Amino acid sequence: MDLFVSGFAAFVIVLVLLAIVIVFMGVTIVPQGYQYTVERFGRYTKSLQPGLGLIIPFIDRIGTKVNMMEQVLDIPTQEVISRDNAMVQVDGILFFQVLDAAKSTYEVRDLERAIQNLAQTNLRTVLGSMDLDAALSQRDSINVKLLNVIDQASTPWGLKVTRVEIKDITPPLDLVEAMGRQMKAERLKRAVILEAEGVRQSEILKAEGEKKSAILEAEGRREAAFRDAEARERSAEAEAKATHDVSEAIAAGDIQSINYFVAQKYTEAMKEIGMARNSKVVLMPMEASALVGSLGGIGAIAQEVFGGTGGKSSSGNRSTTGSVPNSE
Amino acid sequence: MAEEFLTWVTGLEYWGWWILAVVLIILEVFAPSTLFLWLGISAGVVGVVAWMFPDLLWEYEWTIFAFVSVISIVASRIFFKKNPGVIDNQTLNRRGVQYIGRQFVLTESIRNGRGKIHVDDTQWAVEGPDMEVGEDVVVTGSDGTILIVEPKQ
Repeated sequence: MDLFVSGFAAFVIVLVLLAIVIVFMGVTIVPQGYQYTVERFGRYTKSLQPGLGLIIPFIDRIGTKVNMMEQVLDIPTQEVISRDNAMVQVDGILFFQVLDAAKSTYEVRDLERAIQNLAQTNLRTVLGSMDLDAALSQRDSINVKLLNVIDQASTPWGLKVTRVEIKDITPPLDLVEAMGRQMKAERLKRAVILEAEGVRQSEILKAEGEKKSAILEAEGRREAAFRDAEARERSAEAEAKATHDVSEAIAAGDIQSINYFVAQKYTEAMKEIGMARNSKVVLMPMEASALVGSLGGIGAIAQEVFGGTGGKSSSGNRSTTGSVPNSE
Repeated sequence: MAEEFLTWVTGLEYWGWWILAVVLIILEVFAPSTLFLWLGISAGVVGVVAWMFPDLLWEYEWTIFAFVSVISIVASRIFFKKNPGVIDNQTLNRRGVQYIGRQFVLTESIRNGRGKIHVDDTQWAVEGPDMEVGEDVVVTGSDGTILIVEPKQ
């Protein structure tokens, strides 16, 4: 079929096609979280921000679609020799964010590989300069060191490395076992020391207790002795006073009253002697008349009381005793 | 087929243009690449023109369609630049800008215009007048991975 299209009509059709192509190529929708680099004849000119972006078709070209979100990068497991020659397996994780789309695209060829290798080599450097114990216990400082180095190194690439963290440090199995044994030994040592300390403390306490009790006992004895002495002193004083009182009374009164008491005692004593069983000793007054004499003293008192002739002192208030063994 | 297409193209009435516009906008809904939208807008505009000048040549109509397609993009771009509307989070994905106005303590003296501050569990390089460690600074701007600071007044 013959289809005639005038030149103008053909031009219009081409024009429409061109418009559609321009719309297709010139409008770029950049999603949030991304920036697109724009190259004019191959040379970088600008980065398209999120939203509606326009480029001039045929002249401009979208270069790279750069992710501007913070991203996580695994630092793969690798073997590192620590300063004290322990072979450990280390892996980590790294957070970074592209802040300059152009630099991250054109300053470095393979960004992720570059960061990964940088992190790996620096991990080796940092851990290689530490003892195993330090590496296991000072992760914070390791992280800070790594962050400093990697962040500075990646600055020319328009990156901000926000965190570098060591995930796992795995020493070889036999080393782990040895560490476990060491820990157990440490704990055992502590336990034994503590027990010994306990025993020592208890012994000291016991000895102190004994010492205290001995001291207290001695003090008690001393106190008692003091009191005893005092009691003796008091009784002696009392006796002296009594004697004094008696002698004063005698001096004031009559001698015969004494005689009465003496005679009483005398007779009582005689009765006691008489009652003593199986006594081999018999106490008898030298003069039997002395007993009678003492009775005479009583008589004298009676006379004195009932107004008779007084003042007659009885002879022989002394009673001499002698022991006469029973001759069988 | 081609003849039919050509008669359809040449014989578009104003309501034809509007149908085209609606169809294009529906396409835009299903394939959101903001591509058919401009063509749809353009078709709508041509529909208005065709309604005002019913005996306009179809070639002119399609020329208008082509031009308006391109112009509408540029116009909308200019319009959105002037009226960005309400954007909730201006600092989204702009790490450095988020810190503007905040105060920090220098962890490394600023020598020859470069120093360091400690920001939320990470370090940032800063640019500013020479200062000693421990002094307070205020972030006033950001340049890629470097924050621009001034001494706290």
